[in-house]
Amino acid sequence: MVKIMIFSELYSTYYQTVAAILKAAIDHPVEATEMRHIVEEHAFGESMLHILPAIEEQRWQLITPDGKTPLQKEPSMPLTLLEKRWLKAIAHDPRIRLFGDEIFDFPDVEPLFLPEDILVFDHYADGDDYTDEAYIHHFRLILDAIKHQYPLKITLQNRRENPLVMSVLPHRLEYSEKDDKFRLIGSSDRYGSTINLWRIISCEKCQDSIKGKLTKKTERQRRVVFELVDQRKTLERVLLHFAHYEKEAEKLDEKHYRITVVYDKDDETEMVIRILSFGPMIKVTAPQHFVELIKQRLIHQKSCGL
Amino acid sequence: MAYSELVKNFNRIRDYMREFYIYGFKSREEYTRKSARSYDDERRRIESWLGDYMGFRQNAGGKNVFISIDSRVASHNPLYKAWKTKSFTDGDITLHFILMDIFASAQRALSLTEITEQIDEYLSVFPEPKTFDVSTVRKKLNEYISEGIVLGEKQGKSMYYSWTMEKCDLDRDILDFFSEIAPCGVIGSFLLDQVKEQDSHFSFKHHYITSAMDSEILCSVFMAIREKRSVILETYNRHKEHVSESHVVPLRVMVSAQSGRQYLMAYAPRFRRILSFRTDHIASVKIGEVSERFDQMRQKLDEMQKHMWGVSTQNRWGNRMEHVEFTIRYGAGEKHIPKRLEREKRCGTVVHLDENTSRFTADVYDASELIPWIRTFICRITEIHISNEKLEEQFLEDIKVMYALYGLEDGENHDIQ
Repeated sequence: MVKIMIFSELYSTYYQTVAAILKAAIDHPVEATEMRHIVEEHAFGESMLHILPAIEEQRWQLITPDGKTPLQKEPSMPLTLLEKRWLKAIAHDPRIRLFGDEIFDFPDVEPLFLPEDILVFDHYADGDDYTDEAYIHHFRLILDAIKHQYPLKITLQNRRENPLVMSVLPHRLEYSEKDDKFRLIGSSDRYGSTINLWRIISCEKCQDSIKGKLTKKTERQRRVVFELVDQRKTLERVLLHFAHYEKEAEKLDEKHYRITVVYDKDDETEMVIRILSFGPMIKVTAPQHFVELIKQRLIHQKSCGL
Repeated sequence: MAYSELVKNFNRIRDYMREFYIYGFKSREEYTRKSARSYDDERRRIESWLGDYMGFRQNAGGKNVFISIDSRVASHNPLYKAWKTKSFTDGDITLHFILMDIFASAQRALSLTEITEQIDEYLSVFPEPKTFDVSTVRKKLNEYISEGIVLGEKQGKSMYYSWTMEKCDLDRDILDFFSEIAPCGVIGSFLLDQVKEQDSHFSFKHHYITSAMDSEILCSVFMAIREKRSVILETYNRHKEHVSESHVVPLRVMVSAQSGRQYLMAYAPRFRRILSFRTDHIASVKIGEVSERFDQMRQKLDEMQKHMWGVSTQNRWGNRMEHVEFTIRYGAGEKHIPKRLEREKRCGTVVHLDENTSRFTADVYDASELIPWIRTFICRITEIHISNEKLEEQFLEDIKVMYALYGLEDGENHDIQ
C-alpha cells in the first residue's frame, strides 16, 4: 500500500508563495520590491530571509535576473489524491447538503473516511436536523445574506414557544460541535442578535434598515482564575478541556498551578458547571462573584442531603 | 546545519507546538534538558509561523513561551500553518514548477526524454543553468504519480506522462466550514490556499484546534480502516519517556467534542480486547496486512458502544459492568434541567419520577467516566448509587472536600492540597 503524506512540500507555504511570484512574473517582469510584498503577504515572519536570496542567487531557477520567468502559464497543480479522498469523504457528511444540491464526486478515488469510521461520542443528542428541507432553505438564504450583506425578516419560535418576528442583518454563522447546532450572529434593532437556526419558522429577504451593532468582544469578556493541584492528571485534563479559550497558565510550585481563562459573559453558567465537573481538583479564587456562584451551588447541594 | 524556517520531520515540532499551546508555562530550562539549540530553533520557527499568537512571560523561573488562541475568534485554525513547512531541495522546487508548466502546456502525453529536453530548454535562459538527469526526473515523476497529480501510461516499452487536471470548482464556504470541523481538516486548508480569498462566513464555538497536530496519524489510521488493514502503532507513555509498539486492527476514531481529544479504538489480538489509544500519544502508524477480523470486531465495537460513556472498555477494578444511578430535583421554572439529562446522556435511561424529580440509570464498562458529568448537576443531586462502592465513596468524599474548599464545612476555608 502506497502511503501518501500530509506533510509534503506540495502543500507548503513556500510553494504557494513562489506560485504567487511566478503568477506576477508571467504578467510582467517582477522587481525585488514586488517580490518582497508577495512574500510578506503569503509567507511567514522570517521567510524573506530565505525566499528572496534563493531566487536572487538562482538556487531556485524560476525567475531570471531581469524579473522574467521561463514559465508559460500561471502556476497550477491538479488536485492530489489526498485532496480528492478528503473531498469525497466530506461529500458523505449530511451537513454538505446545506451548501447546495450538486456535490462534487471523484469516481476514481475512495473516500478517506466514511461517517461510520468516526464517532463524536459526547455531543448533545438534540443537534440540528440537517435533512430538514425548511432548515436547509433557511441556512442557504442566511449564508447568501451574509455574503451579500442584506437584511432578513425572520420569524422564530421564542423560548416560550410563541412566534416572534425580527429583522436581522446577518454577520456570520456560528457552529458548535458540542451542541451540533448552527447559530446566526447578526445585528438587529430590538432583540438579541444570536438566533438558533432550528428556532426559525420562516426567513425572507427584506428592505429594512438596521441600526443595531454587534457587541464588541471586549465588552462581553470575563475572566475566571482558579488554582489546581496536579494529581490524577488534573493539569493536563484541565488545560486540554479549556484549550479553546484564551488562557494563561502559571506554575506556582512543583504541584500547584494558577490558570486564568477568558470567557464570554453569556457562557457564565456553562463555565460554572464545567469548573464543577473537575470536583475538588480545582478551586476558583477570583473574581469573588464567580466564587459565590460556585458556593451557592455547593450550599444547595448540601441541602440535598449528600 | 544553517537554521531554516522549514522542517524535515514533523514529530519534533508537533511536541513543541502542543507544549506551547496546551501548557505554556514551562521555562526554557525545562525544555533544554536535551538540547538548548533545538529549543531555540523550534521556538524561533514557531514564532515565525504564528507570530501574532505567541506570547512571552518573564518570571523568576525564566522566560515562558506560550501560544494563546481564542478559537471562537480565529475562523481558521492557525496551527495548520505548521503542516505547510516541509523542507525541500533547490532542485525539488525548480523541477516542480517547470514540470507543472510543461504538463499545463502539453497537448498529449510526453515521454521521459521529451520532458527532460523541455526542462533543459526552460533552464537555458539562466546564466548558469541547472541540469537534471533522466533518473532524477523519473524519480520525481514517480513521486507525482503516487501523489495522484501525474498519470503514467506505458506505450510499448516507454512510459508516457501527462497530468490529471480535472475541472472542479471548489466552494470556499464548504472548505471554510469543513476544514475546521472535519477530520484531517488541514487538507481542506491546503485547498483553501488554492482558491480565491474571501472572509470566512463561519465562526466556531467549543472549537478544539489541537487535534490538527495529529492529522498525519489520523490520516494513516483512516487509510488502514478503509482497507481493513492492521497497523503497528508506536505509542508514547504519558511522560514521553518510552515508546512501545502495538500490533492492532484499527476500527473507529472516537472524538470528544467536549475535550478535543481523539482516540483510536482498535482490536489488540495480544490482549484479545478492543482498546482505546489517544491519537496524541501515537508517534507513528505503520500500515500492515488486511485483517480478516475487521468486520467481526467492528460489529463487536458497535455492541459495546451501548455501554460505553467515553472510550473505556474496562474498569480498574476488573468488574465486567458497573451500574450507576442518580436522582436530581429541580424547581417549577427549571424545565431545562430534565431536558439536560435527555440531551446530554450518551447511553442509559432517564425516568421522570414526578414534576420535580428525575433519575438517570446506566450500566457501563467504566462508571468513573460518568463522574465529571454527574458533578455538573451539583446543587440538585439527592441520591447516587454506584455498584462500584469505592467509586461512590470517592464521589461523596470529593463533594465534602469541595464544601471544605469553599469554607462550607466546619466554618473553615481550606486550600487545595
